[in-house]
This record gives sequence, C-alpha cells and structure tokens, in this order.
Amino acid sequence: MRLAASYISVFILTLAATLFCEAIRPYVSPTNMVMVYLVAVVLASLWLGRKQAILTAALGVLAFDFFFVPPRLTFNVTDKEYLITFLGLFGVGVIISTLVTNVQDRAEKLKEREAETASLYRLSRDLAIAADKPSVLFSIVKNVEESMDANAALFLADGEKLGVAAASNDWDVDPEAEKIAQWSFKSLRSAGAGTSTFPMSKMLFMPLQVLGIPLGVLGINFNTEPHNRFEQMRHLLEAFSTQSALALERVRLSQQAEHAQILKARENLERALLNSVSHDLRTPLVTITGVLSTIRDEENHLSEKSRHDLVDTAWEEAGRLNRFVGNLLDMTRLEAGELRLKLETCDVQDLVGCSLASVEHRLGARSVDVQLPSELLLARMDLVLMTQVLVNLIDNALKYSPPESPIEITARSDNKQLTIEVADRGPGIPAHDLVHIFDKFYRISVPEGISGTGLGLSICKGIVEAHGGKIHAENRICGGLKFVVQLPQEGERDA
Amino acid sequence: MPKEDNLPRILIVDDEVSIQRFLHTTLDTGEYSLHQAENGHAALAAAVATHPDIILLDLGLPDMDGIEVLKRIREWSLVPIIVLSVRDREDDKVEALDAGADDYLSKPFGVAELLARIRGALRRSVQLTPEPIYKVDELEVDLSRRRVMVRGEETQLTPTEYDLLRLFVIHAGKVLTHGQILKQIWGIGYVEQPHVLRVNISNLRRKIEVDASRPHYIITEPGVGYRLRALDY
Repeated sequence: MRLAASYISVFILTLAATLFCEAIRPYVSPTNMVMVYLVAVVLASLWLGRKQAILTAALGVLAFDFFFVPPRLTFNVTDKEYLITFLGLFGVGVIISTLVTNVQDRAEKLKEREAETASLYRLSRDLAIAADKPSVLFSIVKNVEESMDANAALFLADGEKLGVAAASNDWDVDPEAEKIAQWSFKSLRSAGAGTSTFPMSKMLFMPLQVLGIPLGVLGINFNTEPHNRFEQMRHLLEAFSTQSALALERVRLSQQAEHAQILKARENLERALLNSVSHDLRTPLVTITGVLSTIRDEENHLSEKSRHDLVDTAWEEAGRLNRFVGNLLDMTRLEAGELRLKLETCDVQDLVGCSLASVEHRLGARSVDVQLPSELLLARMDLVLMTQVLVNLIDNALKYSPPESPIEITARSDNKQLTIEVADRGPGIPAHDLVHIFDKFYRISVPEGISGTGLGLSICKGIVEAHGGKIHAENRICGGLKFVVQLPQEGERDA
Repeated sequence: MPKEDNLPRILIVDDEVSIQRFLHTTLDTGEYSLHQAENGHAALAAAVATHPDIILLDLGLPDMDGIEVLKRIREWSLVPIIVLSVRDREDDKVEALDAGADDYLSKPFGVAELLARIRGALRRSVQLTPEPIYKVDELEVDLSRRRVMVRGEETQLTPTEYDLLRLFVIHAGKVLTHGQILKQIWGIGYVEQPHVLRVNISNLRRKIEVDASRPHYIITEPGVGYRLRALDY
C-alpha cells in the first residue's frame, strides 16, 4: 500500500511541477522550467526515496518534452539542443536523489548507533550499580525489555542443568525454548530466530560466556518482526550479552571471594576457640586437681597455712573456671541470636553497684573512683547483662593495670544517650589494636602470667549492640585505657 | 535416735549425685537431720512423709519442673524453700520467689553462703512476729517508734521510703522481687511500673548508705529484686 501511495505521489509531484510550469510559461523560457522539475526530484528523493526520485526525473523529462518543448503536445523535438537539457535533467535528478538518500541513510544509521550506545550505556550503568546477583539479573532483563522492545529470560547453569534465573513477567515457559537454550549453552553459539540453528523459533538465544566458559544463556523474545531486527541489532545484541556475562562473572567472583573469606575467618575462629578452650579450661583444672590431690594424699604433712593457701588458690581457679564457662555460654547465646533482653528501667548507680559487688573479692586493695551525676540517672537496659558488661570491663582494667593504680568509672547522660566509661592507668594498647580487641579470641600480646579468654570484650560488644548501643576503647592522653559504652536513652520514662 | 528428732530437718532435692553428696557432707554437722529426694515426685512424697523444716530445691529436675514442685508444696505447707538455680536464669528465680520460695542460691555457691541462707530462712520461719528493732552495722530501724538511725543520727524518711524500709526490715535477709515490693507498697496497679521503685530505692540509699554506688544495706539482686542485709550475711 505504502509503495503504491509513493508512486501515486510521484505522479502528483510531476503533475504539480507541470502545472506550475504552465502557469509561468508566458514569462520564462522552456530551458529554465527544468529547474522546477529538479525541485520536484529533490522533494521526491527527500520524501519518497531513491527509486521514486529517479522515476520523477524520468517523468519530468517526458512531461517537459511533451508540454513545453516545441513543437508542444508532441514528443517530437525540433531543436536537438533540448536533448542535452533532457540528459541534464535526468542525470542531475539521479545524482541528487542518490546524494540525498545517502545523507538520509547516514543520518538514520547515526540515530540507530546513538540509540544503541544509549541503551548500552544504560545497561552498563545499571550493571555497575548492581551489587549482587539478583540485581544484576534484574538489570539485564529490564534493559533488554526497554532497549529492544522484547521479553527476556536469563538461563543460568545450576550444576548440570540450565534453569531460568530471571525473566520478564510476560515470558512464556516453554520446553522448546529450554531445549534451544540448552543447545546454545552447550555449543556456545547463538540459536533461534535470525540464526541458522532453530531459525523457526520466535525467540533468539545468545550464550553468555567469559573466556570460553559458559555462564548461561540470554533468551530474547522480540515483540515485533524478529528476522529483520536480528540483523539490525547484531552488534547491540553481542554487546549486551558480553556485558551481561561480565557482570555475572564479576558477581560470581566477588561471591567466591567473600565465601573464601568467611571460611577462613571461621577456620581461624575455630582454631582460636580450641586454643582458648583447651587453655582456659585446663589451666584452672590443673590447679584444682593439683590442690585436691595434695590435700588428699599429703594432708598430714601440710601446715595449716599452706593448706589454707592451697585451698584459696583452688577456690580462685574454680571461680575463674566458672566465669569462663559463663562467658562461653553468653557467647554462644549471642551468636545463636538467643540473647533476649529483659529491658527494665534501671538506676545507673545500681548498675555500677551490682558490678562492683560482683568483682568485690577480686578488687583487693584497688581503689575504684566512681563519678556519677548527683541526680538520679535512669536508663532502660537488661541489668543482668549490662552488669556483665561492666564486670568484664572492670576485670579487664584489673588485669592490665598496675595493682596499686585506681580504676575510674564515670557515667553521664545528655538525655538521649547514656555514656558509661571504665578507665584504668595501665599501659594502654597500640592504636591498631583498639578496634580488634572486641574481636572474638583476639588477644594483644601481653606480659606473661596474665590470663584471659579473649571472650570478655567481644561479649561486651555483643551485649551493648543488642541494646542498640556502641562500645569503643581509647588510649587516655595521660596514660591508660578507657572503654566507652554508649546506650540510647529514649523512652526511659515509660517503664 | 531420739536426739535427731529435735534437729531441724532439711530435705535436699537434687538429681545430681555429686551435688547431693557435697550438700550432704557439708550439712552433716550434727546440727541438722538430712533427707533427700532425687526427683520432683520423690520430693513431694518426702515433703509429706518427713515434714521438713526447710527444703533445698533444685529447679532443674528430671521428671517435673522445680517451680511446679514448689507450687504443689505451697498448696498445703509454709515450709521455707530455698531454690538452687544456675546463674542467668533470673526469670526462673523471680518465678520461684513469686510462687512462694523464700530464697535462692545461684550455683555454684559457697558453703558459708548456703549455711547463712539456711539459718536465715529457719530463723524467719520460727519467728512469727518480727523483731521491732533491726540493727545491722550502723543502720538501726525501730519499727515500734518509726525511727531510723544512721551512724547514730536520726534520719528523716518520706512516708513511702519508710514503708519501703519497713518492708525490707520485716523480711530482712530475704530477697523481695520487684513485683512483691510494688504490690505491697503501691498496690497491684503498679506492678508493671518499676520506675517508682527505682526512684525510691535510689533516694533511700542516698539517706542510709555511706556510698550509694557500693550499697551495704540494700543489696540489688540483678534481674530479681532487692535484699536487706541481715545479721547472718
């Protein structure tokens, strides 16, 4: 239909040119009327195409000859010079039409190229943003849909089998399609519409590969005329599949790296746990067993004082063992997410009091300097667990600072946040260890004879974070280490 | 032995053989007559058969929940019951105390502590009306005259603070749960509002303690309640 219309237009154009020439015939010589026909040819090549323009030139030659070249209304030509005019009109018509259509073609191509570039740009932008596999899959499908006016499906290798990992909403699940996808995956070649394999399929399948390793297959179901479009879009399609494959590979590699890291961390942790458990469970047991066997076998040879000392030692070791088991239990519960907070409104002074009471026999002659605001300081917390935090921090201070140095505990509030600090006058710790001391089983190199599980601080961190708070350590300017616990304090009034 | 009949009878309910043995050895000082039960049903039977003067009850029994044993005994007897429980089972302790237990001990515990608790519970159970005068270290409370002396000087308390202190004095040495205190002083409607309790405890401590950050008289049992120091411990 469009073709017929374009030829009718050719006739109308020629007719219009002829009528115009007729109108101006009294004023111009016939040779100049050629210009009018040339205008018609240019218009035809702009609007209708190259063939139509040439036809217009030919018809123009005939009409010019018939209507205007004397003798008029015949095809006879008296003045043979007009033959050159005819040749000129026809030749210029052909050349102009060729030039115009060439320019148009180029503009068309440029526009296409631009659209391709834009869609590739969008794809690579989306893929660059996509951080994980689902979002990469989603971006690929979305971009195929938008840039190609098509439905898309991504088949990914799941072990030996190929399965649909993501697809457009309108994608039809079709066993035939899966078969073609499988072929494309195995042979690493495109298949389906527009290719030599399974050309009868409506869909096109392109393998996604990186360095010859197949990752999956991109299936495209064009909404219109697949065959022409495949040729047109070959470059775009290839670029799309390459980009998609690279993005998938990138995600796969980063997952692998992450997995390896987790595995390594777990391995380290397990080794640390084993070391810690065997050391921290055994050491007190060795002492306790030793003391008990001495008392059992040598009772008669022991002086009252040495027996007393022995029993004291065993008693202390048993306490240590008990604390270690408690810490292990807390850790396990934190890890398993089974730590349920029993939040209640608590007096911070009470918290400090409970903590000091539970380390009392270990404090010995240590002076503890407690600085609390004069008004009542209330905060919502799990008193038992927060006591555990302070006890661990105080224990830490006791362990790592000289026996005669004081321990300082301060608490303050700005109505939004409660800040509790436990500070000692010990040697502090190297700056690069400040963050790591809260890691499980992390122990900085300490003088011989100081025992610790490396669990206490990580439990503190776990408990404080379960309260929605934060904990960190800092070296004090004038020497010593300070732990800062910050708890959110909102809503402490509606206990 | 007729002499045994006059000794206070202790029923020890625990399924761990080693703990049974340890308690038996520790308490076998000639001051008490000892009985034991390995599980909940045996404990219920023994409570009827031996009429103990005090029961040491482990909460983790093989056949039934220790709290259940406690409640069943409380249905017909006011015998003091001291609950033995592991650390960080505060909810169990509160439940046990609210269900009528007199005291609790966290495992592992020392002998001195155990003996003190037993003495305290026994003393409270034979003492029908409380002594009108409480005196521990430098705190003296005369219930008959409503007078509180701290370090030899009379201290003014608000009516609520006095009621609170009076409640502690009546139950000196015994753990009172937050719920029990709130119910007694403010009424049942306040049980869910521990805020008022914290404020009053804090104020009371400021008036009677030397250092409120290291309280000597009103001792916090984290997650459970408060206890007023008694002479025994």
